[in-house]
Amino acid sequence: MPCVSTIDLPPPSVGPVSRLAPKPIKFVLNWGRRYSLWVFNFGLACCAIEFIATSMSRHDFIRLGVIPFAPGPRQADLMVVSGTVSDKMAPAVRRLYEQMPEPKYVISFGACSNCGGPYWDSYCVTKGVDQIIPVDVYVPGCPPRPEALLHGIVHLQEKIAGESLGERYDGGEPMSPPPAPRPLSATVLRRPIQPAPEPAPEPAPEPMSEAASAPGPVAEPEAETRPLPPVREPVREEPVREERPSPPDDAGPPLDHDPSIIPGLTDHGHDDEIGRDR
Amino acid sequence: MNAAPDPNERTAELTAAWTERFGTEITTGETFGGLAVGVPPEHWVAALAFARDELSCGFFDWLTGVDELEDGFAVVVHVYSLERRHHLLVRTRVPRAEPVLPTATGVYRGAAWHERETFEMFGVRFEGHPHLVPLLLPDGFEGNPLRKEFVLAARVAKPWPGAKEPGESGHGAPSRRRVRPPGVPEEGTWGPARRPPVPENPDA
Repeated sequence: MPCVSTIDLPPPSVGPVSRLAPKPIKFVLNWGRRYSLWVFNFGLACCAIEFIATSMSRHDFIRLGVIPFAPGPRQADLMVVSGTVSDKMAPAVRRLYEQMPEPKYVISFGACSNCGGPYWDSYCVTKGVDQIIPVDVYVPGCPPRPEALLHGIVHLQEKIAGESLGERYDGGEPMSPPPAPRPLSATVLRRPIQPAPEPAPEPAPEPMSEAASAPGPVAEPEAETRPLPPVREPVREEPVREERPSPPDDAGPPLDHDPSIIPGLTDHGHDDEIGRDR
Repeated sequence: MNAAPDPNERTAELTAAWTERFGTEITTGETFGGLAVGVPPEHWVAALAFARDELSCGFFDWLTGVDELEDGFAVVVHVYSLERRHHLLVRTRVPRAEPVLPTATGVYRGAAWHERETFEMFGVRFEGHPHLVPLLLPDGFEGNPLRKEFVLAARVAKPWPGAKEPGESGHGAPSRRRVRPPGVPEEGTWGPARRPPVPENPDA
């Protein structure tokens, strides 16, 4: 059976070597870790807009070493849960958190992911993302200002600078406990690399049959997702965009544009740039 | 831009068309931005087909339900005519004891998801729907959350963590009447902490 590998590798750990490292090495390791936080934004609601604002040029958390270009959770060190976690979304949050490599950190951004926020009485909102994953730093606000997220990041970096991964993973109080083992059907994560050969006369392995008999929405035909026959359309050539026609020379500025709101653009003979007179 | 006709004139036209087609079985009324038509449930599909074919309301905007307590559930459809630029609100009402309505997916294909959502939120069953299963709620959710009898029991399981009302924090101003959101039961009237004198409890 060359198709399915069912060997469970031990989870990668960073504990023992880091515990044996001398203190200057720990300092250097923590120093490197705190300033290269590849962040994975779990944007679920309006707080994600504030997160995006923090990543943009005005606030620019890349200067703090927070890099928002992680291709996915498997390459990320920090997850920022920004927004309302609903009960339907909670398993996905948990699952993507488990895919992140250790050491991993979580910032809960905003009132909704801290505790449910204004949706405390809702029938479908999780009362805080810390009910499903451990959280390192909470940022309060509804939504918080970008400066609040910057403060939370600095706070997390101080926490990273002072931590010892050996203590974190070997005894002491683990900040992020390893996920509890849970049964997964074989088809979920371990897909065969090659297509399976013809059905052998021997009985199928146990997880396969279990997965095959598991009822799922896949079995029922979804009316809305019925495959449509592909429609062949002639590929229309996108016309090469001409250069923008230059406005005629006598055309003034657009009427809705008031140039006086830009300081220094107009000169009305005032004393300073913004039109005040001394 | 085309010269838009007078809205009142257009509403009068639509009212005349509906009355000519359905007679006195329907009610018409003016709402914000257009005409609202109330039809009995047995004419539901015919009314929608009439709106689509005769009144050129080809744009299906949304379908939802309204819990009107003892009057039953109202099911409301908003459609729009892209050609003639008029809105139309078509309403019907189903009894609370047996909320069943024929599906509108035969008229507007896009009503399928809206009917699934109305089904899970209000419990209105749409007969003839091709795949009437919950759309948004998590698996295993029981109840219809947008019904007014649905009890929001989060505070029964865990109290509100903040001290938002005067007096709740234990110091400061004395307590006044606490404002609760709709659907949140009073303390001690629901759940395991229920006190012995029980008021009439909605069967949740």
